[in-house]
Amino acid sequence: MSKLLEVKDLSVSFNTYNGEVQAVRGVSFDLNEGETLAIVGESGSGKSVTSSTLMGLLPKPAGIIKSGQILFQGEDLVKKSEKEMQKIRGKEISMVFQDPLSSLNPTMKIGNQIIEGLIKHQGMNRAEAKKKAIELLDQVGIPHPEIRVNQYPHQFSGGMRQRVVIAIALACNPKILIADEPTTALDVTIQAQILELMKEIQRDTKTSIIFITHDLGVVANVADRVAVMYAGKIVEIGTVDDVFYNPKHPYTWGLLGSMPTLDAKDEELYTIPGTPPDMLNPPKGDAFAPRNEFALEIDAVMEPPMFKVSDTHYAATWLLHKNAPKIEMPESVRRRIEGFAKTGKKGGE
Amino acid sequence: MMVNKTEKILEVKHLKKYFPAGRKRIIKAVDDVSFDIYKGETFGLVGESGSGKSTTGQTIIRLYDATDGEVLFHGENVHAKKSRAEKLKFNRKMQMIFQDPSSSLNPRMTVLDIIAEGLDVHHLVKNEKERKERVEQLLEAVGLNKEHATRFPHEFSGGQRQRIGIARALAVEPELIICDEPISALDVSIQAQVVNLLKKLQKERGLTYLFIAHDLSMVKYISDRIGVMHLGHMVELADSEELYKNPVHPYTKSLLSAIPLPDPEFERGRKRITYDPTIHDTSEEPKFREIRPHHWVRCTSKEFEQYKKELGE
Amino acid sequence: MENNNLNNLPKELFKPLVRKEDTSETISKPSRTFGQEARRTLLKNKPAIISLILLIIIIIMSIVGPHMSEYGNDDQNLSRAKLPPHAPGLEKISWLGFDGTLTDDFKGSTVEEAKRKAIARFDNQEKFIDFKVKSKGNGERNSAEVEATYHVYDAKGMGDQYFWLGTDHLGRDQWTRLWLGTRVSLIIAFVAAILDLLIGVTYGGISGFFGGKVDNYMQRVIEVLVGIPNLVIILLMMLFMQPGIMSIVIALAITGWTGMARIVRGEVMKVKNQEFVLAARTLGTSNGSIIRKHLLPNISGIIIVNTMFSIPSAVFFEAFLSFIGLGIVPPNASLGSLINIGFQNLRIYPHLLVYPAILISLIMITFNILGDGLRDAFDPKMHK
Repeated sequence: MSKLLEVKDLSVSFNTYNGEVQAVRGVSFDLNEGETLAIVGESGSGKSVTSSTLMGLLPKPAGIIKSGQILFQGEDLVKKSEKEMQKIRGKEISMVFQDPLSSLNPTMKIGNQIIEGLIKHQGMNRAEAKKKAIELLDQVGIPHPEIRVNQYPHQFSGGMRQRVVIAIALACNPKILIADEPTTALDVTIQAQILELMKEIQRDTKTSIIFITHDLGVVANVADRVAVMYAGKIVEIGTVDDVFYNPKHPYTWGLLGSMPTLDAKDEELYTIPGTPPDMLNPPKGDAFAPRNEFALEIDAVMEPPMFKVSDTHYAATWLLHKNAPKIEMPESVRRRIEGFAKTGKKGGE
Repeated sequence: MMVNKTEKILEVKHLKKYFPAGRKRIIKAVDDVSFDIYKGETFGLVGESGSGKSTTGQTIIRLYDATDGEVLFHGENVHAKKSRAEKLKFNRKMQMIFQDPSSSLNPRMTVLDIIAEGLDVHHLVKNEKERKERVEQLLEAVGLNKEHATRFPHEFSGGQRQRIGIARALAVEPELIICDEPISALDVSIQAQVVNLLKKLQKERGLTYLFIAHDLSMVKYISDRIGVMHLGHMVELADSEELYKNPVHPYTKSLLSAIPLPDPEFERGRKRITYDPTIHDTSEEPKFREIRPHHWVRCTSKEFEQYKKELGE
Repeated sequence: MENNNLNNLPKELFKPLVRKEDTSETISKPSRTFGQEARRTLLKNKPAIISLILLIIIIIMSIVGPHMSEYGNDDQNLSRAKLPPHAPGLEKISWLGFDGTLTDDFKGSTVEEAKRKAIARFDNQEKFIDFKVKSKGNGERNSAEVEATYHVYDAKGMGDQYFWLGTDHLGRDQWTRLWLGTRVSLIIAFVAAILDLLIGVTYGGISGFFGGKVDNYMQRVIEVLVGIPNLVIILLMMLFMQPGIMSIVIALAITGWTGMARIVRGEVMKVKNQEFVLAARTLGTSNGSIIRKHLLPNISGIIIVNTMFSIPSAVFFEAFLSFIGLGIVPPNASLGSLINIGFQNLRIYPHLLVYPAILISLIMITFNILGDGLRDAFDPKMHK
């Protein structure tokens, strides 16, 4: 698999009335062709800011890219002007947002919203574009597409609208689709449909997907690789098998432990105490240290670099340094993972 | 959790709540729902949007008046004509925790006043000093500091605000707390904190919970019994373990199969079940029938036989 | 990765972190009430603060101003009618216009003809008129132009008497009348705004709080009232009442409260469905307490801002009524009636119009800027 996107040491800050908020602090990751990379994190982790930055959609003048590169097909997107980014958005890189209600223009017919992009980027005429729009609606599973192409957003349900948004995003066969919490606002059964749709589309078109979410279950369902973010940094990155069955960072342990599984017993959920830090004044050293029960003295002094666990798996925790005490993941998390292995391929329920 | 299944604290009988929508249409948000809650248990009410689960909770506590049906609390009808004093009695026995931490606390009031509101309304404290002490006790009970009493809601995080909401509900020493999606708006790691707190408080104070949510895995974790709602009806009711192991109603099956688990292997092999409402038998009005001990399903008599066969009974 | 640096890290750093206290739940920023935050935001808004200061000055002057001169509101003396402004100290600066002179341009076919026109105009007081020839002329009609400056105070032997803003056609001191007029206009505006507030908040509050049929009927009533033109109502009122402060105030109050009522209704409906109000209901709080503790504090910002904006419109409306003769009637002064008089004499005695016009503009602009500033101050999203 070749590398489609390389993000190197990206740092993004916002100038607010209270001062500079460091939303993203030195994030690096790659995206390969045809794969789905999930970025997982809670509020304040910087995952949404990262995706906005990739698209060049940072709110100005407040948001600034302080350093780093975004290499897409050999070119650095950070250096591109707004006009150049407009050529890329929708055509090479597309985005699907969280709220299907506000992603669509309520006063424009669905068909026209799809056709807009086709005419601009592919140079089609209206007739061709309309034909393609109907095809796209069919592809995303909207019944009677030839009728629905002339309808307005309010005539669609939430799940249907999200499908339309995906259709618009895919209209120009982008190389990368960025999905920022696309299913968070949807019911669980609709979410499952949309996730299936996205996987199907990826099989057919080989589009790479960056999937941003806070739901680890969704990650396990949809992603090939996952990056866990906390306080503006990636704390662990690897394949989903690496991160879910062999997590190395205490924050990942915390996340996995705080989700009840369908066959959890009566015990207390393993929790991470406290709340995420204020990015106006990031703490010195490891930002996770105040909430980390396995913190070491060095965590208060220096930020941990990325340690290699395997060729595909990295984690930024001092626990992986050779001088660190041997600390294993908490009991409850280990038992949970073993429980997964026992139930095995239980997918047919 | 072992629950004493002899004392019913709440009985909901054929509850209906309809809303007029425009001139001719009626929205049947809650359409003939019946269930009981036993003292000391956690009853989970789960469903997707439009299922009527939140409306059920709000009607039980009488934020809405019921269109039809009864809600009996320790045998007394909550919705009957009541004097102010009688209504106040119910306000002490039943309390509610809300979903949205950014709007569930009055932004202009201090945390002290917010938590003490119940104390004030029911005259549970004699003077300022006692009021302050009670509030401080409650703050500590929910894991916050005494110093937080003088602060304002906007200074707290979402999880902390939910705790303040819990302290507010606890102030009047209720027996039953209806939790209306209390963790949906919180981060995953904070959800665990709040859920652990709720369980701890339940053990300490002998509380009964009606836990309304759409996240079935969290509901299953915290609940003893679960009712599944769909479009205003309760379609299935069983103990949590039983519901998970032997779901009967097609909607329940589709709901369970749609929940993604943080287990990549499992997810790779998972086959989703879709729910098609048209497969139902329309020969008669479905009723709530007990298909196994303590396991109820909403179905017609024909479907009842069919489900029994599927379960192998 | 920089393995060398990593290998050189001292071993002690890898011991478990010793925490001094559980800092996970403390809040570091100082606690501020909503009111304090609002005040801070307002203080940072320079135009609003300047407006506030100007307003305070105007209000003080309206109280103190009339007493600063020895003339009363209605001291008429035709012998000193239509005098231009004459202020001590400022009279030395000729271009400011406080030197007690009247200046005008006169045209004629010759300079002589122009001068004759000037003399005729200015009381035939040739001795007290300075001429400045602007163009010599060549015999054609209106080709010669002469600027004549008439030292009217000296002509009347009043060189040591000062009327700071001049006098009107009846000889009344304009300084006194200006500030008395401001006083009247402001009183009318404030009283009308307060009545608006009381009626509007009560009406809108009841309509919004109870909703349903009550709200329906109440809103239909408003719609009927809004459909009737204000002027018609006021004319009807003039039939029954003497023109004066009372009648204007009542007229403004009757027609102005609908805007506030609608806004308050909208806000109340928004707030009453918020979860903290539902929580208060489940706690058993009475309706009265809910309105007092939960609704009012949360809509107070909107109410204050709206009142701020209704004051300048009341000032303007009163001025309009007085201007068309329906409001304050002579000899009483209000900004509107002063402007009316000034308007009639605009060409010749501009000072009669300029000062009341400046003042009314200032009042309206400052209230609007202050209102804007308050609106920002009460919006939690704008708090810096």
